[in-house]
Amino acid sequence: MRRIPWATLLALLAGIGLGLVYAWTISPARVVDSQPSALRADFKDHYRSAIAAAYLATGNLTRAQARLSLLGDTDTIEALNAQAQHMLASSASGQSFEEADQVAALASALDQNGVILPTSTPTIHGTDNTPNAVNTANVVVTINAATSTFPASTTEVLDQLTETPQAIETQTTPIAATPRPTRTFIPTAGAPFALTGQESVCDPNLPDGLLQVLVFNSNRRQMPGVEILITWEGGAENFFTGLKPELGNGYADYVMTADITYTLQLRSGSDIASGLTTPTCQTPSGEAYSGGIKLTFEEP
Amino acid sequence: MSRFLKIIIPLVLGIALGLLYGWVIDPVDFFNLTPDTLRADYKADYVLMTAEAYRAEQDPGLAARRLAIFGSQSPSAIAADGLAYARANGFADADVILIQELVTAMQAWSGIP
Repeated sequence: MRRIPWATLLALLAGIGLGLVYAWTISPARVVDSQPSALRADFKDHYRSAIAAAYLATGNLTRAQARLSLLGDTDTIEALNAQAQHMLASSASGQSFEEADQVAALASALDQNGVILPTSTPTIHGTDNTPNAVNTANVVVTINAATSTFPASTTEVLDQLTETPQAIETQTTPIAATPRPTRTFIPTAGAPFALTGQESVCDPNLPDGLLQVLVFNSNRRQMPGVEILITWEGGAENFFTGLKPELGNGYADYVMTADITYTLQLRSGSDIASGLTTPTCQTPSGEAYSGGIKLTFEEP
Repeated sequence: MSRFLKIIIPLVLGIALGLLYGWVIDPVDFFNLTPDTLRADYKADYVLMTAEAYRAEQDPGLAARRLAIFGSQSPSAIAADGLAYARANGFADADVILIQELVTAMQAWSGIP
């Protein structure tokens, strides 16, 4: 019987091990030509902010959708809403309320259009069978579908776009001043919100005098970033929905002081909730304590 | 064949197999990347987004901050790269004009004559 060449096998395995250590750890393949979906979370936030700013400048929702699909978010609208909340909550990071508004506005626009974005990059639209060419063609498709100079191979994608091309997309010659769509309103600038619910809340586990506000859009989705104005004799204060995402995107609260009467409305226009005072509640044993109030606003 | 070669040849072969597997067949999965690794067309589209926003906002500082995520270059150089890509790859004229405006604004903002 022939002897097993243990030394040779061992050398081969050692070589494979060394090769893998070098290829995976010491000198992994260099990253070039990455896709937006591979970006770090904070850079994805920057990317979404830029998409939102461009959308508000151009009003081109189709282009914004194509760009957002590159980020590979499972739920694009939720991702935008969560980012808007985060930006509002971390104003110390230098991100302005306006930028948060832009992100929230894009989420609202997508929501109101019933948009369901693909969770994958648009690789399904490639027209070339070679892997590299498919990859390249995909991006050309995405970008050119947005920029309107269409290679012949992108017509398949264009057929899938339902939005009517805007005037800018039909231009073939340079112009001195490109006509742009009018600026899209932020979501809170629509019809005034209606006060659809006002109830006293007696829960001894909640802080005394807790005023809870919930704001919904016309699709019954909670709206982050909505500015709320509360006033009382000799004072006023602003606060925003979405700063406590664990309680809901459209949730905001404020702790009222006993014996003060408040008036509240949404800054962008809403019914006015007036005469708000801390209610008195009783425990089952008859002990009195201060309750709270819950207000619900809805976009008609 | 000497005993020495019986060790060296499989070792080299193993290293080659390991590198092939680690670099080509199953390379390291990268995530949490920085924007400077983005493919050129994505970078150009990001520059276009910044240009579209700049047209409405007219805030060169904000535009420069948006472009700064690419890190290694000045905002004007990043915008210029985007413009070169847009021109070379058949972007719509209106979009090229937008990026050109952004390049001009970034050059002025950063003091480039």
